[in-house]
Amino acid sequence: MELERIGVVLRPRESREALDLGATMLRANAGTVWSAWFAFTLPLFVLVNALGLLLQLPWLGLALTWWLLPLFDRVPLYVLSRAVFDRAPRWRETLRGQRGLPWRPTLAGLSWLRLDSHRALRLPLELLEGAPRRQRAARWKVLRRKLVGEASLLTWGCLQFELVLFLSVWLLALWLLPNEWRPASFADFFRHDVHSAGTAWTLAASAVAYLAISAIEPLYVACGFALYLNRRTQLEAWDIDLAFRRLRARLQDASKLLGLLLCLGLPLAGHAASPTPPVAKSAAVSTPQEVFRQPLDEDDRRFAAAAAQVYRDPRFGGEHHVRRWELKYSRPPAQQNVNMGFGPLRMLSGLFNAVLWLALGAVVAALAWFAWRWSSGLRDEALPSSFEANLSTTVDETPETLPQDLAGTARELWQARRRREALALLYRGCAERVAQQLQMPFAVDATESDWLRHAAALGDPARSQRVATIVRTWQFAAYAGRYPDQAAFEQLLDGWPLQPGAAASGGAA
Amino acid sequence: MLDSVREIETPEGISLRLRAAGPLPRAQAWMIDTIIRLVLLMLAMIPLAFLGTGGRGLAMLAMFALLWAYWVVCELWLDGQSLGKRALGLRVVNADGTPVTWLPSVTRNLLRVVDALPGVYGVGLASTLVDPGARRLGDIVAGTMVVHAKESSFGHQVPASPAQMLPVPLAPEEQAALVDFAERADQLTVQRQEELANLLEPLTGCRDTAAVARLLGYANGLLGRP
Repeated sequence: MELERIGVVLRPRESREALDLGATMLRANAGTVWSAWFAFTLPLFVLVNALGLLLQLPWLGLALTWWLLPLFDRVPLYVLSRAVFDRAPRWRETLRGQRGLPWRPTLAGLSWLRLDSHRALRLPLELLEGAPRRQRAARWKVLRRKLVGEASLLTWGCLQFELVLFLSVWLLALWLLPNEWRPASFADFFRHDVHSAGTAWTLAASAVAYLAISAIEPLYVACGFALYLNRRTQLEAWDIDLAFRRLRARLQDASKLLGLLLCLGLPLAGHAASPTPPVAKSAAVSTPQEVFRQPLDEDDRRFAAAAAQVYRDPRFGGEHHVRRWELKYSRPPAQQNVNMGFGPLRMLSGLFNAVLWLALGAVVAALAWFAWRWSSGLRDEALPSSFEANLSTTVDETPETLPQDLAGTARELWQARRRREALALLYRGCAERVAQQLQMPFAVDATESDWLRHAAALGDPARSQRVATIVRTWQFAAYAGRYPDQAAFEQLLDGWPLQPGAAASGGAA
Repeated sequence: MLDSVREIETPEGISLRLRAAGPLPRAQAWMIDTIIRLVLLMLAMIPLAFLGTGGRGLAMLAMFALLWAYWVVCELWLDGQSLGKRALGLRVVNADGTPVTWLPSVTRNLLRVVDALPGVYGVGLASTLVDPGARRLGDIVAGTMVVHAKESSFGHQVPASPAQMLPVPLAPEEQAALVDFAERADQLTVQRQEELANLLEPLTGCRDTAAVARLLGYANGLLGRP
């Protein structure tokens, strides 16, 4: 056995996981396994059924097929055991290879071990290892220790799967039968119908059972083989063995290289020291070029190996086999219009055509109407001065310097229905007056709460109160769109901040 | 290399390994779930039998809940594990390895109807046999898969011995193989241990018992023991 060539990832797994490895192996080699399976078992199946018919015992075909399973199991096991080492045999090769596998265990399996529920696990041990009987018994004892339960579960599970597939086919057939063909009741069916065509029904059941067995039996063998591989990986540390072999190869390569360099380097050094260069030329491998090519090559080879590994991943490359049905003889398009049917059908199709065209027209019209509505809606919305538009004009048009007559300007704005600008002007004038009063520079980035704080520092509660009123009014207008009425606005214009000479208490709100 | 593992690389460069669970463990888990549900239903039927028609109605409701809600409730509240899956160490996860959420869970369990066609899970069985991730149709549509959740370690503690330095630097996977050997050496026969250790003669420079001891020393050194 060459462990280096193994094609499955070895690591100690739970036995349940090992079963899934078996399913994966089978999936990867499905074509070879089943071609060999059918090549081997189909003739035997036909033969035993013919025998049953000859002996007037139609059920014998099914019973013998089931009884011969240990014989059939040899085929998938042979294919999988070869395929694991990266070489799946063709079906001819498999059939020829059966001669190489020992027959005695199969005979035992066909006779007194036929009802053994550990057959899947026993198969690889007995057929592949081929050890003498006493040694085999000892090995079986070691091998089965932790796997008995799992192997029995595997057997029962596969039996269930076969049953599921068998019943599925019959149930599906029952569903597909037209109602009038169905038997009136199951009791009726089994009492009369079955007996009237007993042989045909038995043969059909036998064929369906054979198909179900064909689907599941290779899975059974593959899972048993995977359990066996996993157990041996645990017992003999195959994964560590592989890793150590790789490491050993690497170390040996490295040391060989080192040795080669040393061997070649010493004479070269000698030549360099002695002034007789022409002699060195004739040596087989003596130019530094050739000596030093070695490590470069080694790297290249490893890179190439890594790249090949990557390309083997189906996501990055590799071959893709695409299968699809294509018409062998494409029909000329003219033929399609020939069979339009008779009058009423043609009328009906014409009607449908008209309805479809109408529907298309309706869709186009609806789209046009929607587009028109949407664009006009946009236009309508652009006309009235929205809140945002107002805000931007306010910000844009705030003059750099305040007008002399603040109150007058604000009142003009107010009367021109530009109340927001009026209040903005009022707020700004108020802020600037506060700054003047406190003899501090006017900060452009000061917020309303800043001005309220400054107002509190004015030292005059009445004036602070008026500043607070103006700021609040501005905030209500700016952020909530709530404007004061005419009288309240006039009251804000009167008195201290806007008319510097006025007394603070003049217009306390 | 064949393996039943599906690897997912996160944007952070961490590779997650999802070990897809095949038809056999899943069928066993389903069997356990079905038995549990049958037992639950029977237990519920005993008191309900005394309630007459109303009791029959309640029994129907219980049956409905066990048929439809059982899976979703288990998957959402028990970390993607129904009771049978928990017993077998399986788990439902999203295809990217994240825990299953309610929408995929509801989807995959609604599509159970399709997988159960024609009455005995024939479609689901065929699908799990064919699909590389062993997913049934519900899993494929919902973007989920069933994985082995239990990560069991097969080795034991590395036996303590004086640490030795490696003579040459080794790649991470080679170091891992050394530690693996040290962890699992006690499960191997002495002959097999020596056989494996002799493979590494270029590294250790000795054979048989001495080689095994030296490999254990290397493993201790790799584990940072004194």
